[in-house]
Amino acid sequence: MPWYVHLALKQLFPAGRRFPFFTAISVLGVALGVALLIVVTSVMGGFGYEIRRMIVETEGEVQVKARGLIDDPAAVLQQVRRVPGVEAATPFASGVVMVMANGRPAYPAIRGLHLDTVGGVVDLAAYVRLGTLEELDDDSVLVSSELARSLGVTIGDTLEVYSPLIIERLRSDEVFLPREVRVVGLVEIGHQQLDSSMLYGTLRLVQDLYGLGSAVHGVNVRARPGVGEDELARRLNAGGLPAGLQAFSWMDSFEEFLWVLNLEKGMIFFLLLFIVIVAAFSVMSSLLISVVRKTREIGLLGALGASSRGVAACFCAQGILIGCFGTLVGLGLGFAALAVRNDAVMLIARLTQREDELRRFYQFSNLPAHTVPGDVATVVVLTLAISFLAGLVPAWRAARLRPVEAFRSE
Amino acid sequence: MSEPTPPVLQAAGLTKTYASGDRRIAVLRGVDLLLRAGESVSIRGESGAGKSTLLHLLAGLDAPDAGELRWNGDRIDAARCTAIRNRFLGMIFQSFHLVPELTAEDNVLLPRRIGGRVDAAARRRAADLLARVGLGERARHLPSQLSGGERQRVAVARALMNQPSLVLADEPTGNLDERTGEAVITLLLELVAETRTALILVTHNPAHAARTSRHLTLSEGILHHG
Repeated sequence: MPWYVHLALKQLFPAGRRFPFFTAISVLGVALGVALLIVVTSVMGGFGYEIRRMIVETEGEVQVKARGLIDDPAAVLQQVRRVPGVEAATPFASGVVMVMANGRPAYPAIRGLHLDTVGGVVDLAAYVRLGTLEELDDDSVLVSSELARSLGVTIGDTLEVYSPLIIERLRSDEVFLPREVRVVGLVEIGHQQLDSSMLYGTLRLVQDLYGLGSAVHGVNVRARPGVGEDELARRLNAGGLPAGLQAFSWMDSFEEFLWVLNLEKGMIFFLLLFIVIVAAFSVMSSLLISVVRKTREIGLLGALGASSRGVAACFCAQGILIGCFGTLVGLGLGFAALAVRNDAVMLIARLTQREDELRRFYQFSNLPAHTVPGDVATVVVLTLAISFLAGLVPAWRAARLRPVEAFRSE
Repeated sequence: MSEPTPPVLQAAGLTKTYASGDRRIAVLRGVDLLLRAGESVSIRGESGAGKSTLLHLLAGLDAPDAGELRWNGDRIDAARCTAIRNRFLGMIFQSFHLVPELTAEDNVLLPRRIGGRVDAAARRRAADLLARVGLGERARHLPSQLSGGERQRVAVARALMNQPSLVLADEPTGNLDERTGEAVITLLLELVAETRTALILVTHNPAHAARTSRHLTLSEGILHHG
């Protein structure tokens, strides 16, 4: 080990002292900054990840859509399935309806599923909390859990469904009765918005409600493992979809939303980085004081044959070592905080009696977190770089000190 | 008559002047000094006579305004002698100058660490030196756990760690009581004699000065013999 690293370690962790105060405070400052950055980037990443999971698991990675309706879904499905990288495809129809139950109205979205093919793209059965997907037919629906709670319905109850078609029928003085459907299951995706306002019916039911005939609104596509959504959308668009149809990856569909999410994450990261910078200034100030306090020792090192560069490296090494230990402690604190985040959030919510507001605000039933290795690497590299820079100024001061001046100061 | 040993240190015409306001104060006015291997020299002088300045010039820590310095026959440039100093020179100071965060053993090993690798042989030498100065049992102690005399003995061991050609001791007993100072000087003189290391001892104490082989006095910037 080079002498300057050995001496830097000894000065930070002197033998015989259990609690090196200066080192502990400096390391803690850096650690807090790192921990906050890890927690915030993971939680922000978690929102993006959960949204991706929710979209991909309920709709597939890619959607094929037309400007209007897809009149011959069987032909489109056949073409889509021929494209390399496509695992499965299923047609869908969707829209907004009004439902009435127990005298209470609601305006959920409804999604029509093609029961023979939907299982290859969406594992909806995994989200059915009560009842079963097998019981779904053209006169029944699955209701999202929060919606069922707000309407006061459960399995076996009946809903009256009104579609926008009623307006067209009223214009031509036709009598239009609402469609009565049974509730055969409750669905919980884990996303507040979906769980509070979704109905799932058969494709035929939604086609009837919207007067689509045999047409559909689009085709959901599941990619084979290892095939990226953008790549699959590109292949589909290049693979000769019928005229007027286009494939969109889920990221294309939510491009603006994802951009805003990334912008928020970047801004918060940038602001929190200032905690590390402030901690680095504190380290720099402590090391500068140390240079003044150790003037005679610096002179001694020169007298023993240490070069100015070696003396500078000793103080630089102290900055880097504080950065390394601070980063390690910060990573530990950050991941520990992430592990207990839901308990902590729920405790705060319980203490402030804001559990319901919290759930509505955060959309997800749990506070999501997804740590991207690239984010961790960025935090580590930036912290070490800032710590190195914090050691440079004291190192420069120490290197400029001539041994003879140090001894003359006695 | 035996052959004279080779010169370890040669100083010729060393001059040093300091500015004090508008005035220039000549601290050293052409100092000449020749020191051979194994020789011990004491330098006495009043406070402010320039003894420490002379030691700094001889150690290559400061550059003279005029004059020439040679170590083992090689001309020394103060700006470029740092690495050579590590092997050539050992220094002992009045205030001990031990690194407070290092144990006695690590303080003794410091010159070797700065000069390169610390191997098993270096550790053995440090242990031997500490045993020789009577601190074999205190190797793991920090300077704060040692008395003044013990600290100075650690400094003596450190000065000899790299088997230097020359030891410069700047008032090594200045912060010690008479009895402890006497013991430190005895130990220092014994060790340099055993290792045939040249010694320059700056001291105010005439009894300590009398124990070296040559006695010099610095007065008005000039080095007088006797």
